[in-house]
Amino acid sequence: MNSLTIKQLIKLTFHTFCFLIVLSLLNPVLAADARGQNLESFKVDLSVDDATVVDVLRQIEDQTDFKFVYDRKVDRLQNTYNIAYQNVSLKSVLELMAKDADLTFRRINNTISIDVKPKAPKRVVEVVFLTVTGQVTDENGVPLAGASVMEKGKGNGTITDFDGNYTIEVENDAVLQVSYLGYKSQEVEVNGQSTINVQLAQDATMLEDVVVVGYGTQRKTDVTGSISSVDSEDFNKGIVMNPGQLLQGKVAGVNISNVSGEPGAQQDVIIRGVGSLRSGTTPLYVIDGFALDNTSTGVPTNPLNFINPQDIKSIDVLKDASAAAIYGARAANGVIVITTKRGKAGRTQMDLNVSTGFSSLANQVDVFSANRFRQEVVAAGGTLDDGGANTNWQDALSRTGFTKNVNLAMSGASEQFSYRASLGVNDQEGILRGNDLKRYSGRLNLTQRAFNDRLKVEFNMTATRTENLRADSDAIVRDMLQLNPTLPLYVDGEPALLDNMLNPLTRERIYSDDAVNHRILANLAPSVEIVKGLTYKLNLGVDYSSTARDIQLKPYSLLEDFVRGELNSIYTTNKNSLIENTLTYNLMTDRHNFTFLVGHTYQETFVHQKSFEMEDFSDNGIDPKYQDQISSEDMPTYMNTYATENELQSFFGRANYVFDNRYMLTATMRADGSSKFGGNNKYGYFPSVAAGWNIMNEEFLSDNATINNLKLRASWGRTGNQEIPSKITKRSFTDSRDNNDSYPINGDESTLADYPYGTIFTRLANPDIQWEVSEQLDFGLDFGLFNNRLSGTLDYFNKVSENILLEVTPADPVQPTDKYWTNIPDMEIKNSGVEFSLDYHSDYSKDFSYNIGGNLAYTKNEVSNSPYEVLTTGAAQGAGQTDATINGNINGEPIGAFYMQEFLGIGDDGLSILSDDRRVVGSALPDLIYAFYLNFNYKNFDLGLNFNGVSGNKVYNHTAMSLFSKGLLTSNFNTTSIATQFPEEDITNSNAVSTRYLEDGDFLRLNNATLGYNLNPALIGLDGLVNAIRLSITGQNLFVITDYSGFDPEINSNLTIDGIQTFGIDYFNYPKTRTLVFGLNVSF
Amino acid sequence: MKNKIIIALFGIGLLTNISCTDLEEEVIDESLEGSGQAEAISGAIAPAYGQIAWTWRHTNYYGLQLIPADEAILPYRGGTDWYDNGKFLDAHSHDIAPSNDLVGSSWNEVTRNISRTITAIEVLQPLAEAGDTQAEGALYEMIALRAYLNMLTLDSWGLAFRKEVSGELSEILRGQEAIDYIESELLSVVDIINTSRGPGRITQAAVWGFLARLSLNAAVYRDPYGTPDFTTEDMNNVIEYTDNIIDSGMFSLSPEYFELFNDENHDNPELIFALDQRGVMNNEHSRWAYWSLAGSWYPRPEHPSADGTDGPAITSDFYQTWVDAYGDVDPAQADARFYQENQMIPAELQDLTGVSPENDEDHYYCVSADDFEINRGIIRGVIWGPRKDENGAFYTCDEGYRIYPVIQRKGNGPDRDVDYVNHNLQVDFTNQGRLHKNGYRVSKYQFSRTSPNGNNYSSVDLVLMRLAEIYLMRAEAKLRTGDNAGALADVNTVRTSRTARPAQTPEALPAIDLEILFRERGFELYWEGFRRGDQIRFGHYEDTWTEKTDDNVYHRLFPIPQDAIDGASNVAGYLEQNEGY
Repeated sequence: MNSLTIKQLIKLTFHTFCFLIVLSLLNPVLAADARGQNLESFKVDLSVDDATVVDVLRQIEDQTDFKFVYDRKVDRLQNTYNIAYQNVSLKSVLELMAKDADLTFRRINNTISIDVKPKAPKRVVEVVFLTVTGQVTDENGVPLAGASVMEKGKGNGTITDFDGNYTIEVENDAVLQVSYLGYKSQEVEVNGQSTINVQLAQDATMLEDVVVVGYGTQRKTDVTGSISSVDSEDFNKGIVMNPGQLLQGKVAGVNISNVSGEPGAQQDVIIRGVGSLRSGTTPLYVIDGFALDNTSTGVPTNPLNFINPQDIKSIDVLKDASAAAIYGARAANGVIVITTKRGKAGRTQMDLNVSTGFSSLANQVDVFSANRFRQEVVAAGGTLDDGGANTNWQDALSRTGFTKNVNLAMSGASEQFSYRASLGVNDQEGILRGNDLKRYSGRLNLTQRAFNDRLKVEFNMTATRTENLRADSDAIVRDMLQLNPTLPLYVDGEPALLDNMLNPLTRERIYSDDAVNHRILANLAPSVEIVKGLTYKLNLGVDYSSTARDIQLKPYSLLEDFVRGELNSIYTTNKNSLIENTLTYNLMTDRHNFTFLVGHTYQETFVHQKSFEMEDFSDNGIDPKYQDQISSEDMPTYMNTYATENELQSFFGRANYVFDNRYMLTATMRADGSSKFGGNNKYGYFPSVAAGWNIMNEEFLSDNATINNLKLRASWGRTGNQEIPSKITKRSFTDSRDNNDSYPINGDESTLADYPYGTIFTRLANPDIQWEVSEQLDFGLDFGLFNNRLSGTLDYFNKVSENILLEVTPADPVQPTDKYWTNIPDMEIKNSGVEFSLDYHSDYSKDFSYNIGGNLAYTKNEVSNSPYEVLTTGAAQGAGQTDATINGNINGEPIGAFYMQEFLGIGDDGLSILSDDRRVVGSALPDLIYAFYLNFNYKNFDLGLNFNGVSGNKVYNHTAMSLFSKGLLTSNFNTTSIATQFPEEDITNSNAVSTRYLEDGDFLRLNNATLGYNLNPALIGLDGLVNAIRLSITGQNLFVITDYSGFDPEINSNLTIDGIQTFGIDYFNYPKTRTLVFGLNVSF
Repeated sequence: MKNKIIIALFGIGLLTNISCTDLEEEVIDESLEGSGQAEAISGAIAPAYGQIAWTWRHTNYYGLQLIPADEAILPYRGGTDWYDNGKFLDAHSHDIAPSNDLVGSSWNEVTRNISRTITAIEVLQPLAEAGDTQAEGALYEMIALRAYLNMLTLDSWGLAFRKEVSGELSEILRGQEAIDYIESELLSVVDIINTSRGPGRITQAAVWGFLARLSLNAAVYRDPYGTPDFTTEDMNNVIEYTDNIIDSGMFSLSPEYFELFNDENHDNPELIFALDQRGVMNNEHSRWAYWSLAGSWYPRPEHPSADGTDGPAITSDFYQTWVDAYGDVDPAQADARFYQENQMIPAELQDLTGVSPENDEDHYYCVSADDFEINRGIIRGVIWGPRKDENGAFYTCDEGYRIYPVIQRKGNGPDRDVDYVNHNLQVDFTNQGRLHKNGYRVSKYQFSRTSPNGNNYSSVDLVLMRLAEIYLMRAEAKLRTGDNAGALADVNTVRTSRTARPAQTPEALPAIDLEILFRERGFELYWEGFRRGDQIRFGHYEDTWTEKTDDNVYHRLFPIPQDAIDGASNVAGYLEQNEGY
């Protein structure tokens, strides 16, 4: 089938989508219930002549909901009746027949059974029901709607209402069974009580029971791979714009660093070490079964900002190859599976969540004050340009950013249908003016079941509008650090004119960069159980995104380069569609449990970007983006565009076998084909196997009270990395008469049209290009001790990545293009390490309880067998720094090792003395990443503290290298004392890349501290209206302990060369913020 | 019903399961086979010729030849001007590291240029073999161009690349091997290449010229670090090739020296090979003109955004060679090549005593844009030009524009805004010597009237070979083989031919030796990219000048860029760093 038909199919499917939504919404959620009244209160009208017992019963059945159950003996009864009663109680009618025909009627709910000639002398079981009322609440006293209250041993039961209240009629000596999903069931003896309130305790084992694995779920005890799950309760609090921020510090071996302080900034997410040299180290994100494409959507900040973190129920991180290999060629960087919240069975509720926050610059860089500057410029030999003022540019160019969040979610479920709808408005201001990230998001998740639960349709949709206004942060950060502090901010009310430079206050007025993104992610997944245990599931999904971005400079007549005004308009559209078929077969016997999965997926992505560059706008007060503009010969309009289409087709299978809950075996296989790969390598194969041993289920441990959980795991597998640019396997040349591609060959050319087109090679063919492969071995131990109070996980892994794909400088300098793509033969990147996490909690039933724990990961990263002495990256920035590099990838050293000349001091000539050769002088990647938390609960108060840190890495302070030199100081630019450290230094000394600017990157951060109070609604007279009220205050980034002299050591200006990723370079990074957030959650 | 739905769903599943794709990549935003707009021959050779201008860009190969020689210096002017991580400082003081960007960008552009000639040859060869005479002609030009570019890499890095097929690894040649290869390539086409397409394309005369240069420098190329051993055979070759050009009668020396570097220079009969720029394309650049000029100077009244950059100045040492040559007479009066006065500042305005930016509102003369042309040659003292009002427009007057002494607007020097740009002799790396106004500037190339910003759309052809150089090469070859009289005659032919301004036509020299010839080449060919080679050939590259004291002979060649070394590190022994780096 060709791709056109697939498109049509998807289109058709989405017409069906809409239809199904409408249908679902019309479904009656609640059904009437006749339980609880006694027979006396049912009135019937009877008018019969010569009627048999059965005739009477039929009449009763016609008029009531009751059904009579009896055997043939009742049919054979010869007793007849002549009755003409109006509005007579059902009970008296039955009593009449009972006496007459020697019957016993016994009612259970709507069913009345009939015994002929009973042994007991009872005629009508006048079952005297006791009416019991009460409320079911959770451990916090929050009412549980939809909890089930059953009379033990009888079919009789009810469900609590929205306020957790129930009424049930039971026999005097009945036992009530109260249950609710995720809570431990309780049994209560009625003993004649008419009010019984029940408080349920959470069932921790139930909550953890299920883990999301690729294309399915698994019982946690059966899992053989290394999977870390983080539940919404454990997510990071405070201002959180994307899923990565929820997860930071939560999972051992997952290093998430926020590379700047900008709202919704990009993150580096690295799972189990860096396994690729290229920028494609982002894991695969799977949201409710839909695998996202990591291609840029044209939004300059984090592409996952479109997901409202409030909608996320849990995040599972698939770390080892056994867990991830089912995702094949996209799984080498790990897989992050995001599951969004759904309506809970029977529980209908609304949650309102409001918060407001204040962010400010966390740390200032120690540049000279105005007075110190006055001395230092002169001391360095410069001529002071004294503006007479005393300006702290870091204060002047930053602000307190306000953040507002409002989220409302509604959810509920009946037996066959569940829904959850949410709306969120998030508005986060950056600490630089002109920087603001707004998100408007809506999500609708529906589940519908039919045919005795054999058909199940799940629907998920999220639609988001993200408005991202960005400041020219590079320039602002540069200005706030280097501007002459004696200059006044304003002269006569206008920003002071600076020599040949734009005053940053003027820049704020004339510069803007706003991007608006609309994104819809939706999938529809019907599944049907064909025969018992065999389920077919279809998953159809789309992810549409469109972004319009305008970067403009309004005309500014007072500075030469800014007179004309500029506009760069960029339009990006992305489309990602998925068709997926899976067939799961589950066979369960007493001791054996088999699950087989086979599947096929087809995913198609399309990206198109158009970028227009325009210059020369009228200075008429109208923003360039709203002005008409015509291209002129002088100032032509340029449109640059790219568009790529990619396909991924895969076949996969998995077999799980569990014997006696003790021994587990998992095997997976995936064949992935990608259009990005060369013609000679269309398909890659990614197998994995894993085994697990639940030691605690062995007999010798079954009586052990101390050990509650003990499991050993081992796995091996291969995963791939296909995040490579499109088209790199194909040779290409263009016809061009731009720049230096043409020449007046004939000698009589007078206009551009006369110039010939030149044929230019832009890319060399390489049909052998293929994915990178990572082979990973994992050994793990899970344990739980002392009633699971102490639990933890220990993992050792060894991951070797091969077929490293890179754009390299060719050995032969004579090439049509500077670089070409190739899989580097033999080269390997090895990551091995140990991950450990530990958690301890005290008795939660006490007034005071606590929970402490943490995780750490030690990772050793090494490049080996590279045919290159060095592959450099980390392009030093700034005029004259072209080709100067900071990082190098060298055999035996970690990826991105700092590779540069050592700074040995200043010589007699006033110039730097540098080592002759470049050397490896430190690692950009930390050896050790750790996080720990302390949570305290006292009655209604709770306090949580989350720390995280790294050690063993260095940071290259490129900002200092660019700005803080003696030469610049004498030219009246501000510096820190690093510029005046050597009195003998000459002002012409150059700031070459060297260890002079390399600093330790270790840090420990109080990342997050939250104090919360759960207010009893009754205290403010809202009981009955409101279920729960929570007030909280969260501080983010409250302190950082570090020796680093820049704004913050947790940074990464990814100054790639040829797409080789860099780490640990601080180049005008947007400064980190310190934030206080006040939150209010109400559920009702 | 239940079954129907199940069957339907299963059916959809089966349907999609059939949706196997061949995974063929659909490329939609580029035509992998070109757009069809290019013709085979012009499409092949235009990019190869077009690239030369970029190879010779001021921050590429031109700067690489200029700044390390004794004729130019580019100090860090202060602020954000010309620090560039010290690449020009290091180039001037011969302290060049393999990561130096000036070296790296030059290397990248030259090697790409060679690759473009190979691509062209691969297209043209089969066409020529099939009998296409036009392709054949173009093929000879590409072979000659490849040889010329290899001469550039041989000259600067001591190596040449022999490569016939784009998919194969180049063979790296050094020393005599490289000379032989380049010579054989040039000889293979010299008798069959066109004679009429100059100066914009390579002609027979240009190939003779390349051969002459190769022979003249062969001693240096053979043994880059030793004392050059100029063989009689090489010198006779130089004489033979230069004779061919001179005797062809196709070229003649320009009476006005500066017309060689004007907008209209394309038709100047002295040019043998020059980059054809017509002011049509964005990248037809004027950077050789604007680079050196004062940043506060706006040389074209039509273009208020076209200014200078306070880039390189001539060194005081190089200026001294003019003073030494002409003694009491100011070189501007003695030698037409030193200076051309185009700005006739009225006598009553020339005395600036008591005049300052505070009180000079009326201290201007009036000239139309058409008539306005800045002075040429070596610029000293106070400069004059249009002045901007508060709104950034030039002050006008009845007949055109007001021409004022130019106020110093750039930098943080004490003269900023309060004094005029007054170019002085001192220019070095010291705090005093690096100020924006410091150093005599070179206005050799016309500030093109077709360039709206001083950078692009220039109509000035970039001169790469002209007749005067041919005479001087012949003179040198004669001198090195003992023919002093012949050498003197050739030198004097050049000197006495600049007759457009008779008062400044240089007088014939009475005698000649190697030092005088070296000096004379400096006067004739300054700032045209020859000086570094001249200094090496005449044994002066290890001398001391301004901020340069280095005398390491290994610095005659530049380092191979670190990026290239790193990139080739997967082929053992293939590309080795030059000695001394």
